[in-house]
Parts: sequence; structure tokens; C-alpha cells
Amino acid sequence: MNMRSVWALLLWPSLLTVSMPLDCKEEQGSLSGCTSISQEKLLDRVIHHAELIYRVSEESCSLFEEMFLPFPLQLQSSQAGYACITKALPMPSSKSEIQQISDKWLLHSVLMLVQSWIEPLVYLQTTMDRYDHAPDMLLNKTKWVSDKLISLEQGVVVLIKKMLDEGMLATTYSEQGLFQSDVQPEMLESVMRDYTLLSCFKKDAHKMETFLKLLKCRQTDKYNCP
Amino acid sequence: IMYSLPLCHCLSAPLEPHFTECISREQETFRCWWSPGSYHNLSSPGALRVFYLKKDSPTSEWKECPEYIHSNRECFFDVNHTSVWIPYCMQLRGENVTYFNEDDCFTVENIVRPDPPVSLSWTLLNISPSGLSYDVMVNWEPPPSADVDAGWMRIEYEIQYRERNTTNWEALEMQPHTQQTIYGLHIGKDYEVHIRCRMVAFTKFGEFSDSIFIEVTEIPTKESTIPFTLVLVLGIVGILILIMLIVITQQHRLMMVLLPPVPAPKIKGIDSELLKKGKLDELNFILTGGGMGGLPTYAPDFYQDEPWVEFIEVDGEDGDSGEREDNRASDTQRLLGLPHPVSHHMNMGCSNAISFPDDDSGRASCYNPDLPEQDTLMLMATLLPGQPEEEEASFDVEERAPASSERSLVQAQTGGPQTWVNTDFYAQVSNVMPSGGVVLSPGQQLRIQESTSATEEETQKGKEDEDSKETEEQKQKELQFQLLVVDPEGSGYTTESNVRQISTPPSSGEGYQTIHPQPVETKPAATMEDNQSPYILPDSPQSQFFSPVADYTVVQELDSHHSLLLNPPPNQSPPPCLPQHPLKAPMPVGYITPDLLGNLSP
Repeated sequence: MNMRSVWALLLWPSLLTVSMPLDCKEEQGSLSGCTSISQEKLLDRVIHHAELIYRVSEESCSLFEEMFLPFPLQLQSSQAGYACITKALPMPSSKSEIQQISDKWLLHSVLMLVQSWIEPLVYLQTTMDRYDHAPDMLLNKTKWVSDKLISLEQGVVVLIKKMLDEGMLATTYSEQGLFQSDVQPEMLESVMRDYTLLSCFKKDAHKMETFLKLLKCRQTDKYNCP
Repeated sequence: IMYSLPLCHCLSAPLEPHFTECISREQETFRCWWSPGSYHNLSSPGALRVFYLKKDSPTSEWKECPEYIHSNRECFFDVNHTSVWIPYCMQLRGENVTYFNEDDCFTVENIVRPDPPVSLSWTLLNISPSGLSYDVMVNWEPPPSADVDAGWMRIEYEIQYRERNTTNWEALEMQPHTQQTIYGLHIGKDYEVHIRCRMVAFTKFGEFSDSIFIEVTEIPTKESTIPFTLVLVLGIVGILILIMLIVITQQHRLMMVLLPPVPAPKIKGIDSELLKKGKLDELNFILTGGGMGGLPTYAPDFYQDEPWVEFIEVDGEDGDSGEREDNRASDTQRLLGLPHPVSHHMNMGCSNAISFPDDDSGRASCYNPDLPEQDTLMLMATLLPGQPEEEEASFDVEERAPASSERSLVQAQTGGPQTWVNTDFYAQVSNVMPSGGVVLSPGQQLRIQESTSATEEETQKGKEDEDSKETEEQKQKELQFQLLVVDPEGSGYTTESNVRQISTPPSSGEGYQTIHPQPVETKPAATMEDNQSPYILPDSPQSQFFSPVADYTVVQELDSHHSLLLNPPPNQSPPPCLPQHPLKAPMPVGYITPDLLGNLSP
């Protein structure tokens, strides 16, 4: 079952090659040209992206766990949540909290998350390359996730522009400082750090996915949605 | 790294109070259960307290369980106390003891086990043709507690089924839809089906739903097929009977359609028996009207009752059999569909020459009159041997009949006195030269252009038939040409053209004529009426004409001089009873079969 889903996932990237409106960037960096796709469709694509990203990250995480994490340390995995780099970001954390925030804030939260993770994933890629026995599948997955995250960011930016009529946003959230400041002193082993990184990212990917889906619910049916 | 179990103090060491499980059903609340372990004295309610730490900030603290359910040893966290994506850690505290385990930390989304789906049902999709297996579609609803519609949770389902009273479940592929098909169930066996679900890309399944049972007994499928096959068979039989009836009643018509009659030599009034070998005399007798009224009136109608027989009729249409001045085209003309000096019979080709009792037969065999005239003329010119003097066969086409206005006039000015135009396929031997050459007279259509061809055309154009005929005849008188033909005495024989008249037909008065290389000036003043074969006597400018010359005649015998003795022309010695063949000659009145020829040769 696991292998099957892994294989299926390897084929999924091909589905996403055209799903993001990358051509928007070609017009001198401004995103004003992206009016050809409807907002609904764009949101669907963004959601689909986020779902896939979550799935691949989850599989990368389990792979990593199997390969590199000694069993005793696995028990501590849940504690790693505390050390996530994005914990400082103000985020709703329950359905009721989400119900209280606006569409705009929801979208911005997603954007914050996405932009926060672009650099750490790149970093993760470089460290994992230094591993002795990193399986190609794992490396491919993390690479894929890293690439797709960038597409997701673009999509969200366009979505913000479409939905909220805001101009281009400066990427204010991807800060190196955010990443570095939260390294726990006790997690010196790069393995642990990488694993923490992966599991934190997995959590945030799920968060992104959920936020976006709730946003879609709001678009279609305002009254029954959180 | 091998995990070495710590020395199992399980048996000896007491089991500390611990949490057995924490579960969230819908990612909005969760509950945790604990157990006192082997510390039974702590099993009473309140002996152990639950504390949790929600790591949402660096300054978070341990808090006590918001809601106890002591009967279950359960701690329930409601919506207000549940946060997703934020790590929780659980602790059990006794009097002065804290039992804490690292693996009691979690995030809520990771402990979600959705409720089982509800409203299971199944429908039969189909049964295999063999009647041994069938497919079933199972439908259900997502768990009501899971907010799937809003997108708060994404759920996938797993169906499991087994035969009743067996122990092993078959599991199908996980998928997120609320229906799935089970293939290949066996008829007569009962099946049990249940479903469980989990969050997509998570690891923990919920409980199984209640089972439903699928029972498909043997459906009497044969009954439904028996009437169907019966109906099919009866229908086919009925159709066959219908076809047979149609065939039988419409036999004649079907025969016409399926087996169109092959044109066979059937001459009206003549028994086809006569056409067979050895009965030539009788045939000739009949055809020449021997003794009786003439062909059309005489002959018993042999084929009257066979409507599908096509007749080649000797043409009695206009009954002017006496009119040699004919409206009939020569044989060749008819064949080629050329226009001929016919006043009112401008039917070209088929319609003129041949008539059929049946309208729509035989037309296809006719020559297409639409062929350009020039092609035919060229054809003729090339077929006929050219003049020795003539280097090239050039031809003129002259407008003869008013009907064929399309004829273009091509004029070829040649130096030679004669040009071959529009010649017949056959030519009459009009004279035999002492040197052995045979003089032929051209067909009726031969236009021999003198230098005045141009004027001729103009004059000829648009003229009436009679007029044009006269001018033609006048010109034909001046016609001179020769053909070199093999010496009849030496070898071979001339074409069996109806060598008419030439010499003194009336004078001979006999049933034959001789071909002699005689000057033709003694020709009788033939009437201008001419039929198809107006052969022009080459030598004499006064070449007359003649008694209507048929194109063919029967060679009866050879005389002592090895000349061909021919039948008298019908109008030369006109026994009243001689039938004027309407056809007048292009029709082979008589023909020589090989054995007859044997008789003829000396």
C-alpha cells in the first residue's frame, strides 16, 4: 500500500506542471496579466497543490523516520512540534478561531506560511544531499516539494490579488532569522534537526491545505462554513 | 540501530498509571483515557488527575483536564480547549507523583480517528453472462460528525468484505468517494461488508461501520432469455417465409432484375433454330421474303410471349421501302452514330436502327452518339486504306444534316484531289482492274473534296437533305479514286461488300452480276434514290447511280471466270414479293459460312 501510493505520487508532479499560472510572471514581473483564469479555478488549483504538497511531505517524513531515526528517538518526535520555526506566527488553531477571521486574513496566513518555508526547504535539500544513504526517493520528494512550494506561493499571490484586489505583496515573511532563531540547543544532531524540519513542515502543509479549503467553502456557501 | 527492549520489568515492576489513548473524532474535540496501571489504589476517581500542556507559547503551563468523565477514566477536551496543529502533552498526577511519558505528546490532527460512515446500502450492478458472478455497488454517507463538506476534514474510505462465516476480510483500495463497486461476487453466497475511514494521508483509522449483508440468489435468468430467443427465432422464420413469398410471386420480375436477358440473335419472325448451322438456305429464304409477304408479315411470331426478348428488328418503321433515297444511314453511319442525310430520321445511333419491344434494354450496347464527330472520322480515315497518292489522310467534315449542327468543319486543303472523309467501313467493289486492282467506291458519306471544298461547305450548310443529296451526288460523280485490292483471282477475296450495280444491272437482268473491269459509263442511269451504299463509280465523271446499292450481297457462286455471282439487288429485279428489307442491306442479308465458302470455291 505504501509503495503504491509512493508510486502514484511520483506521477502526480506531472499533473501539476501546468496547473499554476506561471505565465503571469512573464509580463515584466507584474501579475496584472493573470486575468485569464477564473478565481474559482485558481483556487481549486491552489487547493490541489496544497493537498499534494501535504501528501508528499507526509511520505517524506515517514520515509525519513524509517531510514534515519532510531526507534527511541521516534518517541520524541511529537515533541518536535514545539520547535517548529513557524510557531511564532500568529495563526488560528481551531475551527472556531478560523470562523472568526476574515478571508483576507486567512489568505494572508497561508501566504505567510508558504513564504516561511521556502528557504528552509532549500536548506533541507542541501543537508540531505550530504547524507550517506539518503534514498533517491526521499531526495526526489523533498526536491519536488520544494519546487511546488514556490508555485504555490505564486498562486496564492495571484489569488490574493484577485480576491482581495491587492497589489503585489512584498515577500516579507521569508526571513532567515525566523529560521535560525529557533534552533534548539539540544538538537545538535542534523538528523534530528532535519526530521524536526520535515515534521514541522508536514504540519504546516496540513494547515495550509485546511485553510484553503475553508476559504473555498466560504466562497461557495457562506452560511454553513466556518 | 537495534532497539533493545529494556529489561522487561513488566511483570515485576508495577505498571505506572498511563494514558491508554487519546482520540479525536472530528478534529474539533478530543478525549484521553487513562489507566491506573497496576496501582489499583489509584483507580478510584480523583486519585489521579490529568494535566495537559498546550505548547502554543514558550510560557505555557500545565493545566488540568477541563472535563473529567470518571466513569470512563476519560478526559474530554471540548471545542474551546482543542487546538489543532499545536502540540499537547498529557500528564497524570497522583498525590505527590507525576507520571509523565514523553510519548503522550501529540498534535490533534494526528490523533484523529473519524467515526465510521453511515447509511450503507448496496445495489446489484450486473450479473455475468455465465450467471455465476455479479457486481455490486455499495453506497454510504460520511460520518456526520466529520465536517467533510466544509473541507475541514478530508476523508478516505476502505471497504472490506467477506463471505459469511469466514474469517478473512478482503480489503479494497482506499478512495475518497462515498461509493464503490465490488466485483466478482459469487451467486448464491452471502457476503458481509463494512467500511472504515481515516483522514487522507494520515495513519489512524476509525472504527468499522456496522456490517451490511449482500445476498443474491440464483436469478432465473434463463427465463428471461428463453422468450427472447423464441421471439428471435420466430421473427427470423417469419422473415424467411415473407422472402419466399415475395420470390415466388414476383418470380418474373425478379428474373428480369437478377438475370437480365442476354441479347441473343433473335430476329423477329425467325425461329432461332434457323440461325444454326446448316439452315442457311431456309434463313435466306425467309429473310428475302421467299414466296410470302415479306419478313415482317410472314414470320410467325416466335417470341411473342417472351417480353424480355430483345429483337433486332429489321427496320420497318416508315414503310417507304421503295424509297431508296434513304433516310437510312449506312451501316457504318448507324454504328458510329454519325449524322446522315435523313430528313426526319435524325435519330442517331440506337434509336434509329434498332427498336425494342422493351424500353429499357439494350441501350447500353449502342454506340454513344455523343462521341465527337471528328474522332469517328479520324477513326474511319485511319481504318480505311489510304490512297496511294495521299500522304496523309486528311478529312473534311461537312455539315450534312441540319440536326447535327454541332459538326465542326475542318477543312483540310490538300493537294490531292481526294480526301478521305467519313468513309464507310466497307466499300463496294465497283470495278476490277485488269491489273488486278479492285476499284472500290466509297460509302455514302464520303466527301470528296475538290478544290471547291470551301464553297461546298457553305452551300452544303443548312441545306435540306434533298438538296444536299443532290449536290453530293453531283460531286460524287466526279469522284475518282482507286483502291488497290488484291487480285481476286490470285488470292484472297474481296470484301463481301454488296457490289451492286456497277455494270449493267438492268441489262443483265439476271440474278447475278459480274464484276468486270469495265468502264462504268454504261451504267444505267440510276435513280438518285440511294440507300446506304451509294457507291461512287470512280472512273466516270458521269458516274451514276444507281440502283440503290445494298452494302452487302450474297455471293451465290463463282462463275467460270471466277467472278462472284451475287444476288440481284432487290429493286433491280423486283419481284413484287421481294421484300424490301427495310434494313436494306447493312443488315447482312446473307452471309457465307465457311462451309458455304467451300462450296463456292472452284
